[in-house]
Amino acid sequence: MGIFIESIISGILIGVSYAVLAAGLALIFGVMKIINFAHAEFAVLAMYFPTYWFLNWWGIDPFVSAFIALPMFFVLGYITHRLLIEKIIGTPEAETSTLIITLGFSLLISNLILIGWSGAPRIINQPYTMATWSIGNVLINRAQTYSLFISLGLISGLFLLLNKTLIGKAIKAAADDPEGCAYMGINLHFVYALAFALGIAVTAAGGCLMATYRPFHPFFGETIIIILFASVILGGMTSITGALLGGLIIGLVQQLSFFVIPIALQNVAVFTILVLFLYVRPQGILGKKGRAV
Amino acid sequence: MKTEGRQQVSLQWHSYFPIFIVCVVGTLISYFIGPDRYTQRILLLIVLWTAASSSFNVISGYAGQVVFGYMMFVGTGAYTTVLLFKFLTISPWLGMWAGVIVAIITALIIGLSTLRLHGAFFAIATIAFPLITFPILNYLGLEELSIPFTGHGASSMQFRDMRFYVLIAFALLAVVLITVRTIESSRFGFALRALKQNETAAEGMGINTYWNKLMAFLLSAGMGALMGTVYSFGLLYIVTTHAVFGLFIMVRILSITIVGGIATVWGPLIAACILVPIGEFLNAQFGDRYPGAQDIIYGIALIAAILYMPEGIWGRIRRSFRPLPSKSTVSMKLVAGEDSKQRVLDKTRDYDSLTFKPIQPVSMGNYTNDPILKIEGIDKYFGGVCALEKLNIEVPRGKVTGIIGPNGSGKTTLFNVINGFLPPEKGRILFEGRDITSLKPHVACRLGIGRTFQIPQVFSNMTVVENIMIGAFNRWGNIDKAYAEAEKIAQQMGLSGRAYCQAVGLTMWETKMLEFSRALATQPTLLLIDEPMAGLNPEEANRIGKIIKVIIKNGITVIVIEHVVQSLVKIADWMVGFDNGRKVAEGPPQEVIANPHMIEAYLGAKWRERYATS
Repeated sequence: MGIFIESIISGILIGVSYAVLAAGLALIFGVMKIINFAHAEFAVLAMYFPTYWFLNWWGIDPFVSAFIALPMFFVLGYITHRLLIEKIIGTPEAETSTLIITLGFSLLISNLILIGWSGAPRIINQPYTMATWSIGNVLINRAQTYSLFISLGLISGLFLLLNKTLIGKAIKAAADDPEGCAYMGINLHFVYALAFALGIAVTAAGGCLMATYRPFHPFFGETIIIILFASVILGGMTSITGALLGGLIIGLVQQLSFFVIPIALQNVAVFTILVLFLYVRPQGILGKKGRAV
Repeated sequence: MKTEGRQQVSLQWHSYFPIFIVCVVGTLISYFIGPDRYTQRILLLIVLWTAASSSFNVISGYAGQVVFGYMMFVGTGAYTTVLLFKFLTISPWLGMWAGVIVAIITALIIGLSTLRLHGAFFAIATIAFPLITFPILNYLGLEELSIPFTGHGASSMQFRDMRFYVLIAFALLAVVLITVRTIESSRFGFALRALKQNETAAEGMGINTYWNKLMAFLLSAGMGALMGTVYSFGLLYIVTTHAVFGLFIMVRILSITIVGGIATVWGPLIAACILVPIGEFLNAQFGDRYPGAQDIIYGIALIAAILYMPEGIWGRIRRSFRPLPSKSTVSMKLVAGEDSKQRVLDKTRDYDSLTFKPIQPVSMGNYTNDPILKIEGIDKYFGGVCALEKLNIEVPRGKVTGIIGPNGSGKTTLFNVINGFLPPEKGRILFEGRDITSLKPHVACRLGIGRTFQIPQVFSNMTVVENIMIGAFNRWGNIDKAYAEAEKIAQQMGLSGRAYCQAVGLTMWETKMLEFSRALATQPTLLLIDEPMAGLNPEEANRIGKIIKVIIKNGITVIVIEHVVQSLVKIADWMVGFDNGRKVAEGPPQEVIANPHMIEAYLGAKWRERYATS
């Protein structure tokens, strides 16, 4: 029974860490209807810089780095959108074009990391990395617990920003009806760039948190991007709440699947769910069924 | 394909000539270079990546369904052949075909479940499959397979001289390129191009989009599996899951396809000739110090191609050699003397002389009391909204039935239900006495129900004649006959001056005429025309009326939806009035427009009273 509870708890902890990354992806898809294939690479980049290097150079704690990463990657996301994405949005093949261009960009990021900082797996060595709390015979990792609370804070912050500020309302409006927004005097390109930057910033912060308890390498992104897609698709693509739910479910499935199948195959369970969902309920858990034709 | 002027459509033997020349010359070059392994390796890589990219091009370029998990098929081919060879000592010459079969079965499984998804969703769904296979193979202990050296030489596809592999690869490339070239000028290729541009219109024009996509997918997969076999025997020797199922395979194929030119025969070859040597050179020079240098080149190539050259190198070359389909011809012709006369003539021709064949010749006296289309108790809901309710309509044969009603009253929904875009919740539709309620649009089209759309749905990157050909293919499988028929119809409808222009540059009138031509090319017995006069000036609207009358004269039954009630009254023999998804009036046109229900529906209760008192 102890191991079961432990799996559920670690499933939730991991699920929330996916949820933060997936929230950014869902925000970007929801507003611009594009899929950012390089999404996980931004998180990986944040794991190296600032998290890993700031800790090594100046001894800055990774949890502080997560908040440094927010503005850093906001700017990086903004620039990326202006340089790569903006030109394609609005063309008939925007959906696949952006997928392909971000695939190219993800390749660029991961290989530059490989060249710059070598392919050796890295690990953050802080007192809390391996430390645990034990409740009865259930062990809970401390780094993951801290991350959980910061993640929840980040997500609430994102919600507040989207719902309570003017710019958040502009982003939501642009997601709903871009044309209408343009007529209402909203600069669409600016709003898109903001949404993209915001998505990247949240993801990068999530990456920093994840780095505190998971070893990572330049191609770590390849292994988690599909998990993020699965979370977002489960959540109905456009909804951030859905992505959170999706991330949680994926985390739980991953952690609980080893009761049934070998641990090496835990991702098989996740991807199978992804395919089944796409087939049976492409609109996700929360999504409503669209009108045909 | 994007030219002005008449073009060669059907394939002759000399269409394949360049492919033979390239493959033979390539083999000769490889032979005369000598057995230097490094050079031959690069040559082999170029040929293999070209073959893989061209195979990928069938489903992702021509059919426009980007398969992000294409490495699935390369990997399946490679693993099947190697496993059969390693454990059952089955010769790879046989094993490669087993690989093809396994890949096609895999593609069938993937295709059946994912091909109904669209765009990026499809891409993401397909990428899940190699990612599922990857850990399973690793778990089974098949992460790394070395191909055992048997010394049997030719029979086990093991050669010391790389030139043999280059020869095999060129043979494979020839097969792939011939297949692609054949598809390009076949009915199948036209169907793929049509569904890529506009799936709705393609369905409406009798193309079974799902089936065509699936066929393209299977073909792509099979050819990819062949490449996987040659790749693993000629280059890898030790097959790993990463080497044949890895994302980098996808990246190479995508870069080569996009840089070279999507949906072109020669694009991938040109791009491979540029990208592969650069990548290999960088890898050899800096590979030890900067291990990712090669992949960075592919990444940059992808980004640059999408941003600055979306039509690819071959697209660029082709464009610069052929005259641009200039959009300015319209305005120029209006000023120029001679041409403008032709244009005016095109427009004001006497439409009475037009003849269109319905699929079954209908003798004029045949339509006594037997309605061509019976709609019985149709209900259609969108969520909780009732779009059509208990609808009963009988459409008289050989006449024009007009449908009027305010916006949102369910007129277009009725058309969508009749030709199968939307399944009704209840009720049935009988066409020529046959139940067509649950038939798909492409079947409805083949049975003889033609359709034009409210918002014109043309295949914008095809020429006018090619657009009409898509319709004509329903009656003529032969490409030459379809072409001849399409040209004839284009001329009849006054489109001869624009026959070889891209549909995207047409005026509103020309676009409408194209829709009519395309629908008539399917030789319908019943033609559904959705708001033909919207966006046209009164004179043009008049001309539409004339055309509809001619269509009727040819024995084709017509149902017209129209808002311009005055124009409709002139042409309709029978009229049905709609409001809120219900039939509120039916009868001769004058009666229906005087019906108080209709006046209320259009103008409100106040006008009904005023009409009643006056």
